[in-house]
Amino acid sequence: MGTRVAVNQVLRLAVRNATISTLCPRQFGRYYLQSRWCCSSTNQATQHNQDLNPPSGIPVTELSLRSFIDMGFTESQAEQIYESLANVRRGDSAKHILPTLTALFVLGLNPSSVKKCLEKCPELYTIKEAQLQQRISNLRKMGLVEGSLQRVVAHYPRILTVPLKRVKNVVMFLKEKCLFTSQQVTDIIRDCPAVVLENLDQLEYKFQYVYFRMGVKQAEMVKCRLFRYSLDEVRCRHTFLERRGLYETPDKKGQTTIINPSLDSILNVDQDTFLAHVAQASAEEYDVFKRLAAREWQEEELQQGRTEPDSDDEDDDEDVDDDDDIEAKSGYGKRRKK
Amino acid sequence: MALLWDTSLLLRKVKDLRCLTPRRHRVKEKWAATRPKLPPTRLAVHHFDATYSTQLGQLWPSVRLAMLSERKYGALLNNFSHNAVLAELKAQGCIDFISEREREVPSCLEEKSEEPSDVSMKSSDVDGEQLSLSPNIKCLVFPRGDVTRFKPARPDKNSLLGYYLMDAASLLPCLALDVQEGHSVLDLCAAPGGKTLALLQTQAIRFLCINDSSVSRTLRLRKVLHSYVPKQLLTNENLRITSFDGTKWGEIESNTFDRVLVDVPCTTDRHSLMEDDNNIFSKSRTGERRRLPQLQLELLLAGIQAACPGGEILYSTCTLSQNQNLSVVEQAIYQAREKDGIHLQVVDLRPLTRMFGNTFHFAPDLHLGEMVIPHLAANFGPIYMCKLKRLT
Repeated sequence: MGTRVAVNQVLRLAVRNATISTLCPRQFGRYYLQSRWCCSSTNQATQHNQDLNPPSGIPVTELSLRSFIDMGFTESQAEQIYESLANVRRGDSAKHILPTLTALFVLGLNPSSVKKCLEKCPELYTIKEAQLQQRISNLRKMGLVEGSLQRVVAHYPRILTVPLKRVKNVVMFLKEKCLFTSQQVTDIIRDCPAVVLENLDQLEYKFQYVYFRMGVKQAEMVKCRLFRYSLDEVRCRHTFLERRGLYETPDKKGQTTIINPSLDSILNVDQDTFLAHVAQASAEEYDVFKRLAAREWQEEELQQGRTEPDSDDEDDDEDVDDDDDIEAKSGYGKRRKK
Repeated sequence: MALLWDTSLLLRKVKDLRCLTPRRHRVKEKWAATRPKLPPTRLAVHHFDATYSTQLGQLWPSVRLAMLSERKYGALLNNFSHNAVLAELKAQGCIDFISEREREVPSCLEEKSEEPSDVSMKSSDVDGEQLSLSPNIKCLVFPRGDVTRFKPARPDKNSLLGYYLMDAASLLPCLALDVQEGHSVLDLCAAPGGKTLALLQTQAIRFLCINDSSVSRTLRLRKVLHSYVPKQLLTNENLRITSFDGTKWGEIESNTFDRVLVDVPCTTDRHSLMEDDNNIFSKSRTGERRRLPQLQLELLLAGIQAACPGGEILYSTCTLSQNQNLSVVEQAIYQAREKDGIHLQVVDLRPLTRMFGNTFHFAPDLHLGEMVIPHLAANFGPIYMCKLKRLT
């Protein structure tokens, strides 16, 4: 009997919250949740009534374990959520939980993926309802259709924690600096949502590296999900091929003397396949190369960082040090091609 | 007066008119765009791609990768320095590839040929007899695949440096030269001095003659020697540094030396690929580059003439090019016999390759001499060497 009381409490709570919100999808959410609770409470109450006696003095704004189960989570899932909630809950953040859950359910995610989302990104508990709705509708506006939207959120729930302005900036950047079409941008957000949190300078560098050094056009970049890979991964494989004489930068007419392997065959394969079929090299070589390349790039960055502020003084210092050993200087000091 | 002033002013203004400027002062306008400016390193890559891909075949991509990546160094230990460098470097994980190879090679041989194990034992014994390596040359390298770098060497209390950093493969010609006690040795193209220093480390040479045609390079060589070898060993009785034209050596001093090292100038493949300054592939040095094989041939012939009958000559380059390696040696053997009546025998260096097969990658199936080819895990070389013995 006690469980019935709890359900009613949560229901009341949900209805009250839902009526506060004036947004249109919320109405649907209320009905959705209500119906979900109604049917779940009838069949689950019989199974779990022995161990879950809610404290009688529970305040209305608190969610009990019971209510999570009633939302359709299994018992263990509910317990985990309840516990993580207890960790997150500080101050007034608790009042955002219900809208978050509602919003996720409204999107059409099932309880297990909702739980996964929350696990992946506990920050979701603390987002304000209005922001959440705004962000979701913005994603819709960008052209993510039903299905893709759910997949993006399930895959990368952090996208809902990113401010609207930031997402818009990234989209503008992709359209204006990288000249992707709107459809391509939608595809990028769908396939590689993590792009919204990347540093724009690095993003631009990565795009320019692939566009200019590798001579790959936008359409192919989108198709190969370029933005899933870090710059270092892309650069490492490309430089490896280039030094082996298997990849050439196309000239301004887009011509090369050899046939370059496609971006797809370079990136979207595991290392062994890449080495066996594209690079035709041994794993030992690639392993050594990765270490050498990492060091080379690190030094390059150091040098760039050093040339921007007053470079002359420090260079002079180094020269004095190196004069001890002539061979070492000619070997290591002048490695860099200018 | 005013009139004169005016006319000169007028003339100056008029000077810009094309029809009035004398033909010799006219600047011809450029119509055609100039040839695309490619840096010499790019030219070198194109050149090597064209020649070496046919010469090395399947091996070329990995050699190319290795040459375009950071090279590996070896630290030639300076026996004259009193620093405890050896222990220090060994603590960092270095191994002396010359002395510590014996531990590795027999096991490797046994693995390869398990059944005739006694035969392989014999052959390795025979190797040891054939090539008596000087125990004084010690060179430390980081193990295969290790990309750690050496720190610059520090001077000891006599201000002599503890080790000399050089391509470990460049040491192989010095080892192959097989200098014995009391020999007189000629180093025909000695600068920058790594190989010379290795020869001096043997402490067996009675008289060493060092030559390099370029004065500035000789000066640099002198500096190197002074920072590694104590002054009492650099006396006129046992050392002579000259900067003559090496090709004339046969006329200056023929039939003199027991051992001659001819480390000729070449296209220095690694340097040409990596650095734009002083690059032999730059447009202005095309002629020089084309004349290289001829120069190399003349130097080798001079070296052959300078060796005494029974003496040995070692020809080495740091290029993979067949034209500068095998062809030059073949031509030299032929010309020495035809013109000077000197008969030469090619000395087999395969024992050496068997000894150091773990440290270096050697090119397979070379019918004359041996060649170290770069590989990323053991990024030494390229070094070509061929040893000749003068019979008459």
